[in-house]
Amino acid sequence: MTTMATPTQSAPDAPAPHYNPKSESAGAKRAKSTFFHMVALALTAVVLYPGLWMIASAFKPNSEIGGANTSLWSSNFSMDNFVTAMEGIGGVSTLQFFTNSLVLAIGAVVGTVLSASVSAYAFARINFPGRGLFFGMMIATLLLPFHVVIIPQYIVFQQLGLVDTYIPLLIGKFLAADAFFVFLMVQFMRGLPAELDEAARIDGAGHARIFGSIMLPLMKPALISTSIFSFIWSWNDFLGPLLYLNTPDKYPLPLALRLFVDQTQSSDYGAMIAMSVLALLPVLIFFLIFQRYIVEGVSTQGLKG
Amino acid sequence: MINRRHFLTTVAVGTASAAALAACGTGSSSAGKTGSAENPVTINYTWWGNDDRAERTRKAIALFESKNPDVKVNGNFTDFAGYWQKRATEAAGGGLPDVMQWDLSYLRDYGQRNQLLDLGTVNINTDAFEKSLLPSGQIKGKTYGIPTSTNAFAVYYDPAKLASLGIAEPTGKWTYDEYNAFLTEVGTKSNGALFGGTDYTGVWWMFNIWLRQNNIEAFTEDGKLGFTKDDLKKWWNQTAALRGTPAIISEERVTQLAPKSPFGSNVTATEVTWDNFMAGYLADSGAKELKLVPVPSDDPDNLGLFLKPSMLMVASAKTQYKDAAARFIDFMVNDPEVGQIFKTSRGVPASKTQRDGTTFEGTDKLVVDYEKSIEQYLKDAPEPPIVGFGTLEASFKRIASDLNYGKLDINAATDAWFKEAEDLIKQNA
Repeated sequence: MTTMATPTQSAPDAPAPHYNPKSESAGAKRAKSTFFHMVALALTAVVLYPGLWMIASAFKPNSEIGGANTSLWSSNFSMDNFVTAMEGIGGVSTLQFFTNSLVLAIGAVVGTVLSASVSAYAFARINFPGRGLFFGMMIATLLLPFHVVIIPQYIVFQQLGLVDTYIPLLIGKFLAADAFFVFLMVQFMRGLPAELDEAARIDGAGHARIFGSIMLPLMKPALISTSIFSFIWSWNDFLGPLLYLNTPDKYPLPLALRLFVDQTQSSDYGAMIAMSVLALLPVLIFFLIFQRYIVEGVSTQGLKG
Repeated sequence: MINRRHFLTTVAVGTASAAALAACGTGSSSAGKTGSAENPVTINYTWWGNDDRAERTRKAIALFESKNPDVKVNGNFTDFAGYWQKRATEAAGGGLPDVMQWDLSYLRDYGQRNQLLDLGTVNINTDAFEKSLLPSGQIKGKTYGIPTSTNAFAVYYDPAKLASLGIAEPTGKWTYDEYNAFLTEVGTKSNGALFGGTDYTGVWWMFNIWLRQNNIEAFTEDGKLGFTKDDLKKWWNQTAALRGTPAIISEERVTQLAPKSPFGSNVTATEVTWDNFMAGYLADSGAKELKLVPVPSDDPDNLGLFLKPSMLMVASAKTQYKDAAARFIDFMVNDPEVGQIFKTSRGVPASKTQRDGTTFEGTDKLVVDYEKSIEQYLKDAPEPPIVGFGTLEASFKRIASDLNYGKLDINAATDAWFKEAEDLIKQNA
């Protein structure tokens, strides 16, 4: 590119071939760019190293993982860890753990998208009495640390006999209890031109119609960001399932992963790491499929604003 | 037959119809305190542990159910750290499971808050237990926990590593000076390739044993410290000359190796810890054989050793099925067939009936033989540790490692630990 640019730029008024500030600065630019990319690559390598370590360790025998073993790859390459990981734990198959995680994650995505978008519509577009107060209260729940509500919530679900079901883990998602997502969508919706729904109202559309036909299609980027985050959060959630689920048949992956490592007995780090690799795959795939929408979401948000 | 649990699961997966479920939940209170073969009662049993323990427990439960057709046991398990988070939440919410596997360091905490059933009020046979062991499950005359199994403190070593250095295997009859000399010998002969061991003065239980060797109580009956600053200084001075030499592995290195232990990573020749870590060390290090000998003592007749319950069985104070819970606990601690199922994976069976009914081989036999060999030196187990003991044990380790790093000198370390301990005891008084 620079070689192309140099002659066209300098040809008309270049008295001496050795005096060419443009090409010098292009050379400097190239050096700068090379330097920048080297640094960026080095940083990427540092950031990605734990992931690489995990993948490499998944193929190592248990006694060669961690401790005094510093080499990344082992000469005793084996798939044994994956075999152990797929055997399941205490009579529950690994596939069952995956299914459970998937049920919870998909439930969370569906619930959050449905409830948060409806609530956001109300906050952004309907001028009901006390809207400011309710909005403030919703934001206030963002400031409340999760740990404050654990025990009261547990008591409620315990009294209702809902412990050891997925209800305590999912009901909040269907009731728009995730204030973060509601807030995200409210902000997005406020950016959409009000003329659109005014036009729809003139055409005789009610709130349901405006929401379904006008707002939802326009909100796609926000809906997708929400789906991605709620999927990943639910997939990685440890404390919620730990507290509310009792039967190992219902455990999602994060709980199952911990069962390979027992401080009071022997720990099978190999199997745990192999299962971590497997557990990472769905999230990675989900992210790869939808990641372009995240970028789209951010950019359209900017345009619409 | 569709039971409530099954029904709930089916509904829960599909829908979020809270109202309908709430109705199911409240509608099914206890079906009575005892069951029959046609209409059994279900008790919940929970434990921590890995895959292996889950499999063994499943077998034990199946055996119990076949012998007791009027009781069904619903088994659940989590990892150790998560286990206590879950119990704390359940205790606050009033929903502890009927029967639980328990750890000594949490016994006083839950026992004093009346969360655990006084097992003296139900029928559990403790005739086959060492009399010195039972008090460790008792608080102020009430029995809250029955030990399933025991462990004892020991020095581990890897005979192959010692042989390659041309060092004779220890006999276990040694003073602290001899033990220190042994550690130094390993470090010197291996030219630093192999450390003698970890700094044993950073291990709370080893300190506790040393106090017992000197006839000092770690905690007084009213929950205060039974030793003085001078005792602790003297203890931390034991290895003062070894720190920073190849005799003792440096703290930096220990941190690098975590979560594996230096011994499991084949970096040290010895380790001082509980004898039930054997299986873990063998798996981590890949060593063919590891051996156990008693801890050093300056008084050859008083090794300060004791059997500690490696875990206990407890019941919830609110259980509706006291009888079924008691029968299950009795079965888990006494039945010889249960011993055959668990071997030494919970520790050495505490009940003689169970121990005698179990055949031990290989590694299991090493641990059992070790506990047999120290029988003549055993004294009463200490009482259940004071509330907050876990914090004290951790700060003991942390301050000792600061000592090793050279961040603190012995006087400052002693003052720091005493301050933390006294604050904690005051708080919980």
